[in-house]
Amino acid sequence: MRCGDFRTTYAADAAIFETPISRWATVGFLVALAAVPAVASTYWLDVLNRVAIASIAAVGLNILTGFTGQISLGNAAFLAVGAYATAAMAGSAGLPFVATIPLAGALTALVGMVFGVPSLRLKGLYLAMATLAAHFIVEFVANHWDSVTGGVNWISVPAARLGPLALDTDAKLFYLVVPLAAFLALFAKNLFRTRVGKAFVAIRDQDISAEVIGVRVFRYKLLSFGVSSFYVGVAGALVAYQARIISPENFPITLAIDQLGMIIIGGLGSVQGSIFGAAFITLLPEVLRLATGELSAQFPGLTDLFAPLRTGLFGLVIVLFLVFEPDGLAARWRLIKAYWKLYPFSY
Amino acid sequence: MSRMQRLQLTLAAVLLAPALALAQEIKVGGIFDLTGITADVGKPYAQGVRDAVQWVNENGGVNGKKIRLVDSDYGYKIPEANATYKRLTGTEKVILINGWGTGDTEALKAVVAADKVPYFSASFSAHLTDPAKTPYNFFVGPSYSDVLRAWLFWVKEDWKDKSRNPRVAFFYGDNAYGKSPIEAGRRFCKEIGIDLVAEEVLPGIVQDATSQLLDMKQKGADYAFTQVTVTNFSVVLRDAKKLGLATKWGSNTWGFGENLIAVARDAADGVVAAMLNPPFGEGVPGMAKVVEFHKKNHPGDKHDTNYVRGWSYVMVWSEGLKRADKAKALTGEGIKAALETLKDFDVGGLAAPVTYTSADHRPTTKVSLYQIQGGKIVKLSDQEQPRKQEWLGL
Amino acid sequence: MFFAQLVMNGLVVGSIYALVALGFVVIYKASSVLNFAQGEFLMLGAYVCLAILDAGRVPFAAAFLLTLAFSVALGIFLERVVLRPMIGEPVISVIMVTLGLSAILKAVVQCVWGTDTRPFPQVFPSEPVHFGPFPVSQGYLWSVACVSVLLILFTIFFKYTREGIAMRAVAFSQQTALSMGISVKRMFALTWSIAAVVSAVGGVLLGAVRGSVDGSLAFFGLKVVPVAILGGLDSVLGAIVGGLTIGVLENLSGGYLDPVFGGGVKEVAPFVVLVLILMVKPYGLFGKVKIERV
Repeated sequence: MRCGDFRTTYAADAAIFETPISRWATVGFLVALAAVPAVASTYWLDVLNRVAIASIAAVGLNILTGFTGQISLGNAAFLAVGAYATAAMAGSAGLPFVATIPLAGALTALVGMVFGVPSLRLKGLYLAMATLAAHFIVEFVANHWDSVTGGVNWISVPAARLGPLALDTDAKLFYLVVPLAAFLALFAKNLFRTRVGKAFVAIRDQDISAEVIGVRVFRYKLLSFGVSSFYVGVAGALVAYQARIISPENFPITLAIDQLGMIIIGGLGSVQGSIFGAAFITLLPEVLRLATGELSAQFPGLTDLFAPLRTGLFGLVIVLFLVFEPDGLAARWRLIKAYWKLYPFSY
Repeated sequence: MSRMQRLQLTLAAVLLAPALALAQEIKVGGIFDLTGITADVGKPYAQGVRDAVQWVNENGGVNGKKIRLVDSDYGYKIPEANATYKRLTGTEKVILINGWGTGDTEALKAVVAADKVPYFSASFSAHLTDPAKTPYNFFVGPSYSDVLRAWLFWVKEDWKDKSRNPRVAFFYGDNAYGKSPIEAGRRFCKEIGIDLVAEEVLPGIVQDATSQLLDMKQKGADYAFTQVTVTNFSVVLRDAKKLGLATKWGSNTWGFGENLIAVARDAADGVVAAMLNPPFGEGVPGMAKVVEFHKKNHPGDKHDTNYVRGWSYVMVWSEGLKRADKAKALTGEGIKAALETLKDFDVGGLAAPVTYTSADHRPTTKVSLYQIQGGKIVKLSDQEQPRKQEWLGL
Repeated sequence: MFFAQLVMNGLVVGSIYALVALGFVVIYKASSVLNFAQGEFLMLGAYVCLAILDAGRVPFAAAFLLTLAFSVALGIFLERVVLRPMIGEPVISVIMVTLGLSAILKAVVQCVWGTDTRPFPQVFPSEPVHFGPFPVSQGYLWSVACVSVLLILFTIFFKYTREGIAMRAVAFSQQTALSMGISVKRMFALTWSIAAVVSAVGGVLLGAVRGSVDGSLAFFGLKVVPVAILGGLDSVLGAIVGGLTIGVLENLSGGYLDPVFGGGVKEVAPFVVLVLILMVKPYGLFGKVKIERV
């Protein structure tokens, strides 16, 4: 019987999976996921794809906000950049997705770094304001650069393509989105075992001390904006392939708030937490929709309440988490694991 | 009801629902705006659709089969409509959809055609009338473009000073709905000799339209047409009154109605607009059942022209379902074919008679113009637009 | 003439921005919290006033006072339940809590009053007042008056009254203030009440000017962010100057640039200015130069 973790080497301390069980559980989970398209309906596949895409974006945001301590309200705008870049590259240029997705990520990283420049002088609240402004400026561009974005109307995106292979159904797309999300999550997890990742954390914890111990604060802040925006750009590319029709309405300011909500609920500074949060926030309205839909026969008028209920529940969840569980679902999950690890002798 | 009880009810309902479902049902999807920026008109419309479905079911159904309306609120958001559409067709397997806005309808038109799902929406965008491009899109009423043409025609008649052409300005929202008829309007102005002097773009939420109005005033417009919603139009009208402008205002159906008088008050006087459906309670033959239903089920509610519009939609597509069912072809393709047999189909005056053919989905080109005079909506004229081939889809 | 009229309109519309920004600033001044739910306070104020007017035959003045009383209660309640546990938490938590609050308030309004556009009774005569060639809506005139009165009131309040000075002490250092016998909690409750009241005044005025009330009123919460930053987050005078400036800027860009760009410039211009200010003078025109630099 195991009765706790005892780490005797630094390697063990920095391991991604703390125990073999957690490693095999993760592998098992991924294998089980691979079988999902065989049984799930298109609707649930659509939801799962959205969860995976949201996870990528949330991991990206968490790198910036949770790990480096730079608050960003510009995530919706960065998603838009990735999505519109993909629409342009996949549409007229007809590039395959192996090219468009990394390119969209790279372009978004560039844009993200430009908006990261104010972080040279600003932090906390003021940086949040700057990224908020960035959001509205990107929105304006998306609305008025008709030749690229289709303006206020919409632009349609061809299915993700690679040679003769076209990912034109939710099931096929699933096999692109989910492995990509898993890979990017693993990459992020590894990032924080490296010099770069540790520099990010140092900046978050105390920027002046970080500078003193030799971290070039501004350079690493920009790098953090870059890495984070790369993730968000990739997510944006996937949004484009998944929705197939994108308009500025796909990227409202509330989306940026949703994403912040994901990392708050999941846990700031936790890759795993980002995924929990993304799943939670994406599933919340769907479960609510099913509930109100099924009950609308007995309680007419419930459909009308769906939208306010969703907004209210979102707000309530955020507030409750901040007040009662500021460390998010990731901390809860650790507690549960710790409880079962020592069961029945936990206290 | 406590949160817990509600949760239990939900669970119970989720588990029991499939067992309760009836065998002889026709599933129809509804994508409505109950909470978005067009909810002020979207809600009565949705109510009309729901009530009319209930009425049809109580009065024989579709040759005995009941219609089950699976509806959902999409908050006037294109992505939300997209997701709802996937759910309605993927999980619920509906065979027809009653939708709503311009942006989402236009965004979905390619998918709808590929999936062969007849899609009725309250977007009267002329882009949806050409079956060569949008074979599965339908609406009930004259298109936005025809309405604008009818209004411009009225301007030309109303303009008495023959020494120069009347000057016109367009006000439209920065969205797909706002921009839908503008190109048609620009061309028609040239055709009949009207000077289009200004185009003013309004944001989604208009708080103050003074800067746009001042620009229009500078350019000397005598008339102005708005393609916005009641809320935004009333801001424009109030600001115009404040500035003391003599411009004569026009609007399409969504900026007009009983509510405009309530919100804009005396500033709304003189507005000329198209109404596609009569106000609730007007003495047309088809209204009797609507009023009777209203008295029986919710006599306390207030209804308007948008509610009547919901009814007119159901009257048209349920007829399509009946004809398709008779032909034993209750599929997307079958319903489309059945709808295309409608010729001058009369919905008892709830809307203009409807005609669809396989080459032309313009339901009607008749536009009824109304004017607000002293706080009352008064009918001005009926204008039958010619069914010109080159206007199809414009 | 065109220019002058745009400026004039910008000033009167800007007075509403100034009003809402005042609430923003008062909260920030006392507790260093940026309240993203300010727009919802405004919307709620307008709806409550409308509900009171609809419910009984009360004169407008009475309904208005009742609305203000409601806002005081709301401010105290929210501070107690939501904001107090946030004292000492990182900035992002505080930002998120006000964002969550805004979602809840929005939902409450939608559940209670629905999403229809509701006509607001005629409070001010619809005839505008003419200043020379410039017509101004009477509602906006009242808003200009309110802003002027509030500017004087707040200046006196923060300079001479016991509570005002205590509030500044709390903003300066919570610990020191506590040790001097000032109740920090009471001060926070007071600031939130003031902010809610100021926003409610703005909401009622806007409802009266537009003649209608709907959910889009909440949008003002985001609109005043550039206003508050421009003026300086902790300056009462700054909020007012910022409000008027942004109002004028919006109208000028709407009048001259919108026809060129096909709309939308009027809405985005304040945010472009926001970025520029953050780059050049992040503490705003009148703010205290104490922003942390890295």
